[in-house]
Amino acid sequence: MTKSNDQSRSGGSSRRQVLATGLGAAGMGAASTLLPTRRAWAGAEKKLKIGFISPRTGPLAGFGEADPFVLDLARKSLAKGLTIGGDTYEVVFLDRDTQSDPTRASQLAKDLINGAKIDMMLTTSTPEVVNPVADACEAAGMPCLSTIEPWESWYFGRGAKPGQPCPFKWSYHFCFGVEQFAQTYLSSWNGDVKTNRKVAALAPNDADGNAVRQHLFPILRKAGFDVIDPGGYEDGATDFSAQIAHFKREKCEILTTFPIPPDFTRFWRQAAQQGLTRQMKIVEVAKTGLFPSQIEVLGPLGYRIAAAAYWHPVFPYASPVSGLTSAQLATAYEHQSGHQWQQQLGASMSLIDAGIAALKASGMPTNKVALAASMGKLKTTTTVGVVDFTTGPVPHVATTILIGAQWIKSKPGSKYKLDYNTIENIEDRKVPVQAKLLPYRMA
Amino acid sequence: MIWINQILQGILLGGYYALIAAGLSFLFGVMRVINLAHGSLAVLAAFLLLVIDHWLGISPFVGLLLMLPAMALVGVVFQLGVLERSLRGGVLIPLLATFGVSLLLDNILFALFGANTRSFASHIGTLSYGSWAINRSIDISQLDALIFATALGLLGGMHLLLTRSQLGRMIRATAIDADAAALSGIDPRRVRVAAAAMAMMMVGIAGAALGMRSSFEPYAGGAQLIYAFEAVVIGGTGSLWGTLIGGIVLGIAQNVGATINPHLSQISGHVVFLLVLVLRMRGAGGLLGDLRRKIRRQPMAPT
Repeated sequence: MTKSNDQSRSGGSSRRQVLATGLGAAGMGAASTLLPTRRAWAGAEKKLKIGFISPRTGPLAGFGEADPFVLDLARKSLAKGLTIGGDTYEVVFLDRDTQSDPTRASQLAKDLINGAKIDMMLTTSTPEVVNPVADACEAAGMPCLSTIEPWESWYFGRGAKPGQPCPFKWSYHFCFGVEQFAQTYLSSWNGDVKTNRKVAALAPNDADGNAVRQHLFPILRKAGFDVIDPGGYEDGATDFSAQIAHFKREKCEILTTFPIPPDFTRFWRQAAQQGLTRQMKIVEVAKTGLFPSQIEVLGPLGYRIAAAAYWHPVFPYASPVSGLTSAQLATAYEHQSGHQWQQQLGASMSLIDAGIAALKASGMPTNKVALAASMGKLKTTTTVGVVDFTTGPVPHVATTILIGAQWIKSKPGSKYKLDYNTIENIEDRKVPVQAKLLPYRMA
Repeated sequence: MIWINQILQGILLGGYYALIAAGLSFLFGVMRVINLAHGSLAVLAAFLLLVIDHWLGISPFVGLLLMLPAMALVGVVFQLGVLERSLRGGVLIPLLATFGVSLLLDNILFALFGANTRSFASHIGTLSYGSWAINRSIDISQLDALIFATALGLLGGMHLLLTRSQLGRMIRATAIDADAAALSGIDPRRVRVAAAAMAMMMVGIAGAALGMRSSFEPYAGGAQLIYAFEAVVIGGTGSLWGTLIGGIVLGIAQNVGATINPHLSQISGHVVFLLVLVLRMRGAGGLLGDLRRKIRRQPMAPT
């Protein structure tokens, strides 16, 4: 019943309908077996509607690739309903695709709040998705939980000022931030691979690029690294000869960069053409290199690139909602999709884990004030580790961990082209370290 | 030395822009159609090449031999199904129709191939990052050199074809006055189909260059369209050699801008584009006017 409403509303674009139909069918099966029994004893229908907004198509689609799988898993796990304070609620996920468009993200959020009358909003993956959704929820008094956007971009990017009281009432965010980047980077760079400590820093002139320029680079400089920053370039640049010449002249041996994926592909190939890759010993990327496909396109130039991971199958944490350990989650995804696991899988699962934990802790999940209050006090363990809003750096924010990891050529006979091994664990000693950082070299 | 390197890299980049823009320029020169699906069609070509490569396990260069005829076929369908019909409706309709085609293509490609970023880099071995070192600060990328040579060859070849061959004369006649051409025994419809097929083969080469030089995904077309458009406008709409000059001007402007400050890279390209546009609208004389007149003397400019 709910599902069919859901689908009619999401009409318009054929590709979204294909996804929605697939998911809807799964959800509908669950709901139809559930409805008669629950009605029999519950009398009144108690339902919790959860909005889930993420980018499934468009340039950010890599982030949303595993979301249908995760939502399917959550729907199946919660098919018997959720018991809170003695009442059993039917849980309905209304998932929406922003098509990587911030304006659309905001519109979808408003539709879910005013049209579908949801009880809670979940949203994930990049400022272009999370910020507009969180803003819409803040304006409408809707409890909103989000992840996977450095928390500084979420907090300061939405108008909060350092040293002033938190301006938010309804939106909560858990993610790593600049400090986590700094810790894992310093741990990786001060390890076995010896360098001249000269860091080539390539960051674009966008929200994330300017955030690291302002907050991360000073920390690295203080830690004794000479950070060479030629200045921000515009996203979508076709040529990086100027920056490459600059880095060559300065004899940099470490690269740190925060580009959108296509820009890095171009930059790194040009760097190889113009001889920059030969002098590099550690190549540390962020924002790109998160998913196998983004490294595979580089061919032999992609081996031994390091990229900090916000989730990995070796994480010793399980999902309370699905009951799967991190390793089981990755295996289940690879089995069902035929694709290699990717880290957003764990992050999207953790968002649902944390959301359900907040609903349970509230005692009154349909009461928005109670739900928002329970988010603010939330302390729970999810797929990505501990999420603790009581000890966050600022109100309404909880930090999660980053673990150093490196892409290497997979062993012969592997199903996939690349392996992604953890190389350090300074932020959480419980996460196993699989290998040592290898110096970059063109294979 | 850094400036020499930057200008040299800018010229090579310009060759890439010209190659990306060639099909757009040709279609505009011959049919007065601003093809907003240009970028998406280039991405379609790249995906075609990917499929051929995947099925037959051959190098993308051999794959071109199969992809280009396929693109020619796409051109025929595109001409008969979209352009021919929409051209009857005035100036605005082809613009809207090709925009629609681009949306349609992007989403079909997404439905078929998903959102993953692709590239031919791993299929062309060391060519994707190989280079010749001229001295300590100047390296010439082998792939960029190949792309530049291809742009020269393609634009030169098309120029020869238009000026020297029977088909070229027919295309020019149709472009200048379709009715008069029809009176002389030319079937403008067939000529346009042939021209569209040729344009799509040029788009096919652009798609291959895109896939080898950088990466593509179903929604990558839009960004390609912008640079192609700027190269065409800077060089003078409808002129093939002008497109090469336009591409090089754009490439040098971006690289010189980036050397002053990375912020200025794209801005300086856009500023040059706008300057040329303004000067052209004012019918400026002097150096630009001379250049423009030279470009206008090219056979494809029917103004």
